[in-house]
Amino acid sequence: MELDSKSTRALHFFAPQMEKISKAGIINIVIMLLFILGGVYALVVQIVKGHVVTGMRDNVVWGIYIANFIFFIGISYAGALISGILHLLRVEWRTPIIRIAEIITVVSTLIGPSYILLCMGRLDRLHYLALYGRIQSPIIWDVLAISTYLIGSIIFLYLATIRDLAALRDYPFKQKWRNKVYRFLAVNFNGNSEQNRFLDRSLDIMSAIIIPLAVLVHSVLAWIFGMTLRPGWHSTIFAPYFVVAAVFSGTGVLIIAMWIFRRYFHLETYITKIHFNYLGIILMILGALYAYFTFSEYLTSWYGSETWEMEVLFKLFDQDEYWWWFFFAAFVGVLLPIIVILIPRFRSINSITAVSVIAVLALWVKRYLIIIPTLETPLLPLQDLRPEYIHYQPTLVEWLLTFAGIAMFCFLFYLFAKFIPIVPVVKVKEGRNYADLRKMVQNRIIKRKIKELKLKEAQKMQNT
Amino acid sequence: MENEKNIKSRRDFFRKSVPLAISAIGGVGLVAESCQAADQEEEKVPVLSQDGQLVYVDKSAMTNVPVTGQEARQGIPGKKFVMIIDLARCRNARKCVSKCQEMHGLPSEDEWIKVFLMQDSDDTAPYWFPKPCFHCNQPPCVKVCPVGATYKRTDGIVLVDNERCIGCKFCMTACPYSSRVFQWNEVEVSHEMAHAHYSPETSVPSKVGTVGKCDFCPDMARQGKLPDCVTGCPNGAIYFGDKNEDIVSNGTESQRFSQLVHDRAGYHFMAELGTEPNVYYLPPVDRLFDYERGFNNLTDEQKEFYRNSIVKKH
Amino acid sequence: MSFRIRYGNRCIIWISLIFIFAIGDIDAQNTKKKTIRSKIEYFKDQDQIGRLVTTLKVKEDRNAPLEGVLVHFYSIGDTSKIFFDSISTNKEGQAIFVLNESSNIYKDSLGLMTFESEYLGNQEYLSATSNIRVQTVELSLSFFQKDTVKYISAEVNEIRLDDAIVPVNGVDVFIYIQGTFSLLNIGDAETNHEGKAIFEFPVEMPGDTNGLLTIVSKIEDHDLYGNLESKGKINWGKPILLTPEKHRGLGDTDAPLWMVYTLIVLLSAVWFHYFYIILMIIKIKLSRTKIPPVQELIL
Repeated sequence: MELDSKSTRALHFFAPQMEKISKAGIINIVIMLLFILGGVYALVVQIVKGHVVTGMRDNVVWGIYIANFIFFIGISYAGALISGILHLLRVEWRTPIIRIAEIITVVSTLIGPSYILLCMGRLDRLHYLALYGRIQSPIIWDVLAISTYLIGSIIFLYLATIRDLAALRDYPFKQKWRNKVYRFLAVNFNGNSEQNRFLDRSLDIMSAIIIPLAVLVHSVLAWIFGMTLRPGWHSTIFAPYFVVAAVFSGTGVLIIAMWIFRRYFHLETYITKIHFNYLGIILMILGALYAYFTFSEYLTSWYGSETWEMEVLFKLFDQDEYWWWFFFAAFVGVLLPIIVILIPRFRSINSITAVSVIAVLALWVKRYLIIIPTLETPLLPLQDLRPEYIHYQPTLVEWLLTFAGIAMFCFLFYLFAKFIPIVPVVKVKEGRNYADLRKMVQNRIIKRKIKELKLKEAQKMQNT
Repeated sequence: MENEKNIKSRRDFFRKSVPLAISAIGGVGLVAESCQAADQEEEKVPVLSQDGQLVYVDKSAMTNVPVTGQEARQGIPGKKFVMIIDLARCRNARKCVSKCQEMHGLPSEDEWIKVFLMQDSDDTAPYWFPKPCFHCNQPPCVKVCPVGATYKRTDGIVLVDNERCIGCKFCMTACPYSSRVFQWNEVEVSHEMAHAHYSPETSVPSKVGTVGKCDFCPDMARQGKLPDCVTGCPNGAIYFGDKNEDIVSNGTESQRFSQLVHDRAGYHFMAELGTEPNVYYLPPVDRLFDYERGFNNLTDEQKEFYRNSIVKKH
Repeated sequence: MSFRIRYGNRCIIWISLIFIFAIGDIDAQNTKKKTIRSKIEYFKDQDQIGRLVTTLKVKEDRNAPLEGVLVHFYSIGDTSKIFFDSISTNKEGQAIFVLNESSNIYKDSLGLMTFESEYLGNQEYLSATSNIRVQTVELSLSFFQKDTVKYISAEVNEIRLDDAIVPVNGVDVFIYIQGTFSLLNIGDAETNHEGKAIFEFPVEMPGDTNGLLTIVSKIEDHDLYGNLESKGKINWGKPILLTPEKHRGLGDTDAPLWMVYTLIVLLSAVWFHYFYIILMIIKIKLSRTKIPPVQELIL
């Protein structure tokens, strides 16, 4: 495949990087693998001894596993919405960050659902979902939506990588297996006009589909909680609330990932302050939207002051219970990003990344606060003498598996980065599309005018 | 697979060796072993036939094999089981709890029927509140089950099939009455129970990693027997019966269901949730016991705990 | 006459009980054997000669039933007694002997029968005997309707030795409706001089699918007649409707149709595009056009 000079330069920048592993890289891998091993150990313990090793009990039946699940599905929005929308809008500056966003989507959609599996009492009966599935159950909606979403985001990532794969195929790697794999994956792409047309059309379709699909996935996720008669869950705005929270966290993770890659892969020429500024502004707008939803949600339940809603609210505002977590999740984690990004003087690559970290952490805490206080507030009094049945306390097993999930996320991300360029190498100018569009619009206007003229003439003829 | 085989072999058995009259009660899951024209008078036991009628069968002709498979999902025809709990009679004797645990092989901390101490307002007197599963007509737990492991039967009973349950615990979050109990670890039960033929109707033996709850003891109902929580109550606080025949019994006395609920102002607990429970409560008026008596067989720790739990924090 | 017999019957039971206790008290001091409380009851269902139920309870064990011991049943005559059978007690401490045609029963001139049950005792328990004296009576049930009111009539007749039937006056008869778990009492009345007790059937009582109800009449714990029971079926109940409720609801096996359609439309819309894109990828793979310069393409 022929490349222009810019793309060739990029290819020769990334391809050698992919083949070698730096010392820092090895250390990182070892650390990540240690965490993953810790998770494997915890998993074995949980399988051998049963769910009794977790902090979950009859009232709090879902713990941080479910919080992690929502969190990971949430950050998968980075690719779906950001790259989907930016692609459809043909935003020029998106190109260097779009690959990172798409990888985040695929990796987090792979890891998120595994937390659901950790929560299941009988993993050996997983296939019953297919055998006896009832489509009235939001869990089945979730299974269908997430699997469709995962496949969609893999297709999306693949389509957006085909051009690069073709370029990599033709690059003389030292590791010969790479060329073989790239040859297979590049599906004979050589950049002819027909192939370009097919590919562009596919990309347009996928980015159009992935947006409503992503919205649906998180709505369904919210409905798992919203459909139950529980205080703090049974809320009509839960679906959009979850969607906004998800995009918010997805953007945050994208900014963090950009910062890490920019720093350690030396992508300063590709990922610039403009990207951080633009994404920062998106983050700020989403933060404001999220703050609005949060305010609306808690104001409504406080004003209505139903017994159970109040009980959950009091727990959130009680200093002995969840107040400081709630303060961090609902105030610090939302207002700080907004303020920092809103004031141009504070805006810098590092500050935007820092507030993104805070926002992402706050959103994890928020997910915890959605699940646990509600489950600790059943409608009937909690008259149980076993303290672990009244208050949920995540155990070591649960923490190990949580960190293993994060390590797995980083590890998979690293593998992806070693296999495909983290920034798209082959640039395609999109001016043509605009020209086409303009031409199409012009043609239509001309056609309509001709029609009008004809009509007028016909009327004149009739009048005379 | 195993279940199907079982059912099949049982059907074959009927076809081959059992006269017509008895095979009519095939649906009740009690196997007639022999039924030669009885030359000796035998004690008869009532059983429910397939069209919901009570028939009498020789006691010796029965061995207990619980109903499984599709039969256990359908329910006993013509029946609508209801429970009435008379709050005026409860003094937290906790016999319903222990009898139920004994029957279902539950560990002492797992309670399928729980007794709560309730107080509706600071100005009103506390009362004891036994709470089994409500077997709602609009059960939120059944709606959300992804695999149909928990289901509503025609006789009003909501059961859990521990052989189908995947342990996702969605039903536990969906149930607004905290009626469901998860089996977090393996429980030691008697040899007999551990090797019992599992049926959703008996819920024995329960399986680790699945959800259990009060099942209204349909296996007992098939033999015309009241659940153990009903017969176990020393004060006759729990009535059980069939709404269709309008008779409920607490083991010692029988009443017309409609009359009892009407005269004693029976009500549904948290009726506003729209779940339409099949358990009715009679308000704690003209009580037989002071609620303090319910503390009699509790430890100081338990007493303190109960007292604190009814004091509202706000 | 009847008073005397009743009195006598009661006396026999009391005397036997006192006798047992007396023996028990003396013996207990020496061997510490436990006292057994024995009670014999007579039951008679429809078309049955009757059955004898002896209940053994251990006094020292808070009247716990004595399980798995043999009880011997006899019919007592003026001078001798006939052995029927030995029956083992069950979990409830009951030994049940069913009288049949071949049982030789002593009857006196009025048709009175005396039965005895005997437990011989062992190293642990004292022996116990109990007697009962009963008259053979028939309890029969009939139904009739006057205007719109429905009546149940229970008739009690003594059957004398010469097969003479004598209506019994002044016996309490209880009427029940058979439920799945219990009997629902709907009234009790004394028999009149014709030996009949009349009950009004309650309105609005539901029956089974055919409106059929089982009515049970009982004479309970009568000093002379023991326990009698007679059953009858009548279709006076409101028939219950058994409509098999097949819904497509949230709680049912089958989902509401709109849900099925929505799901199919949504999923097929997405998956159609996935397949379309896979087709596109195949087309890309098959496209073998020689490479035109990239720049040309863009312009």
